[in-house]
Amino acid sequence: MQRTVPSLPLAPSVKVRLLHAGFHLATDLTDMCPLQLCKAAAISHEEAVEVLQMLRCDTQPHQEKAATEGITALDLLHKEEAQGSIVTFSSRLDDVLGGGVPVGKTTEICGAPGIGKTQLCMQLAVDVQIPVCFGGLGGKALYIDTEGSFVVQRVADMAEAAVKHCSLLAEDTEQKQALEELTVEKVLSSFFLVRCHDYVELLAEVYLLPDFLAEHPEVRLVIIDSIAFPFRHDFENLSQRTRLLNGLAQQLIRIATQHSVAVVLSNHMTTRLLNGQSKLVPSLGESWGHTATQRLILHWEGSKRLASLYKSPSQMEATIQYQITVQGFRDAQDEPMPTVESSAVSSQTGNSSKRPRREDQS
Amino acid sequence: MTGRPVEDFVSCNPEELAQKCSLSYKALVAVRRVLLAQYTAFPISGADLYQELLSSTAILSTGSPSLDKLLDSGLYTGEITELTGSPGSGKTQVCFSVAVNISHQLKQSVFYIDTKGGMCVNRLLQMLQTRTSNVEEQASVGGGSVKAVIVDSVPAVLSSMLGGKQNEGMSLLMQVAGELKMIAKDFNIAVLVTNHVTQDGNGCLKAGLGLSWSHVPRTRVLLQRVENPGVSSSSLRTATLTKSSRQPCHLVEDFDLCNWSDERNSVSGKRKLESS
Repeated sequence: MQRTVPSLPLAPSVKVRLLHAGFHLATDLTDMCPLQLCKAAAISHEEAVEVLQMLRCDTQPHQEKAATEGITALDLLHKEEAQGSIVTFSSRLDDVLGGGVPVGKTTEICGAPGIGKTQLCMQLAVDVQIPVCFGGLGGKALYIDTEGSFVVQRVADMAEAAVKHCSLLAEDTEQKQALEELTVEKVLSSFFLVRCHDYVELLAEVYLLPDFLAEHPEVRLVIIDSIAFPFRHDFENLSQRTRLLNGLAQQLIRIATQHSVAVVLSNHMTTRLLNGQSKLVPSLGESWGHTATQRLILHWEGSKRLASLYKSPSQMEATIQYQITVQGFRDAQDEPMPTVESSAVSSQTGNSSKRPRREDQS
Repeated sequence: MTGRPVEDFVSCNPEELAQKCSLSYKALVAVRRVLLAQYTAFPISGADLYQELLSSTAILSTGSPSLDKLLDSGLYTGEITELTGSPGSGKTQVCFSVAVNISHQLKQSVFYIDTKGGMCVNRLLQMLQTRTSNVEEQASVGGGSVKAVIVDSVPAVLSSMLGGKQNEGMSLLMQVAGELKMIAKDFNIAVLVTNHVTQDGNGCLKAGLGLSWSHVPRTRVLLQRVENPGVSSSSLRTATLTKSSRQPCHLVEDFDLCNWSDERNSVSGKRKLESS
């Protein structure tokens, strides 16, 4: 298929001149020399050079890439099975999510202040490092903190609990060997933290992420906590915010699929008036809601913490109860645990003091 | 040296042109006539058109009786059908179901363009497994020519370029529209696209991408959640026809995202009734 001039990434004024001079296809332009072009299309010499340079480096690779990218669903299924997912240490949440937070997809965690968004993010950052022989991914985590709510002591707590949990499960020699390497120091050292103070820093960080991921191919999880905070103020022009967010969303999706990492975003809640009733909805607007592949909403019901899967391409919508303990994000304990692994988790949490965390963290 | 476009020649006054390039007026008119004949569209009689319609148009069932009813029995080839809806309204699920139904029931290939990383093949497999427990049948899906192109979603890649003072996005959007229409018409393919919704001043939902895009799809369906007080989440959805050339608009149908794949017997039973 031939590329037409209007589809080229050029300034509109240059495009109009080119069209007016009778250049309709990109191939019409390729044989020209700059001097000819600037005479024929009545554009300046610089513009002509720019057009021709753009044509040389742009057209062909893109088209060829697009043409070969089609893959069958069967190949995709094998790829998806190989990628796996990150467990949350709450078996019920894992069930709802279909095995955990999926790698290669984007997941958004929304919730009111103090509900445990940051706790879940930190828990995932620890969980991604569980070795492969324990059913984990053995990857590293990148944590982009925009709110300054990151507390390294909590991660150390959670890492300690995770190491302890693995030591209870270790049976064969391979697992025991892996356990020797799995220490709190190791967990903390394969954990990268980036602090972004405003949206410009966040955008710059996200657009430079592919370089970082190329350098650190073991990274399996990118967390942005939170995406909402830098974008909720400092904006006079709301449509500019929407455009920036859309570009950011596209970049995050690209990172998730090309580098096969799980992207986890946390988001605030905001109030919307609907038919005279106020309702809590995730912030950043309606169109942002399409961005994440999965959307998890954390909310209170009385003193219970509930997590609802609101949007997912693969799983049923469901609501489960969870709690936040010293060890991290866990199942709530009022019901019997369904699976073996989770019973190990619950017995472990049962031994310790069950101090429900207050709203001091997130 | 490249020539001037034909339209410059055609839009010129032949008398002036005859003076300018010292050709005879007659010769110029003749050239003009040849050019116009070459670029003109020929009339087709209604009867021929109808014959062509009968021979080449296929209606691809979506697999859901209620959605088929809404779309006047399914997706038409040669047309663009659009699904709009807020996040979590089931657009991607409908796309998956349509893809599975076309490849399994109708044994045709589907070309799925995923722009937002929402593709989940496990779910496709799950849908296929609820339709048939026969593994051989599961493996022998598709095989025919490509009959449907699904784009999920159009605004995901384009909306960052739209709005403000950018003209780029609009021209790209219209180019996408042109290509999709060309694909639909020339290759007799049903095109299914998804779109976002925005809220207008009164809090009503309307489809995204603006007014000029709204002329592109032939049929437009708005998907919404059924809000039940007390129940936080359910798989019930309503589909409202907001633009159609066949059915009255604002037709509303209910459907269930789960039963789509789960209760296969009731679905096929209904289809048998319809066909008999």
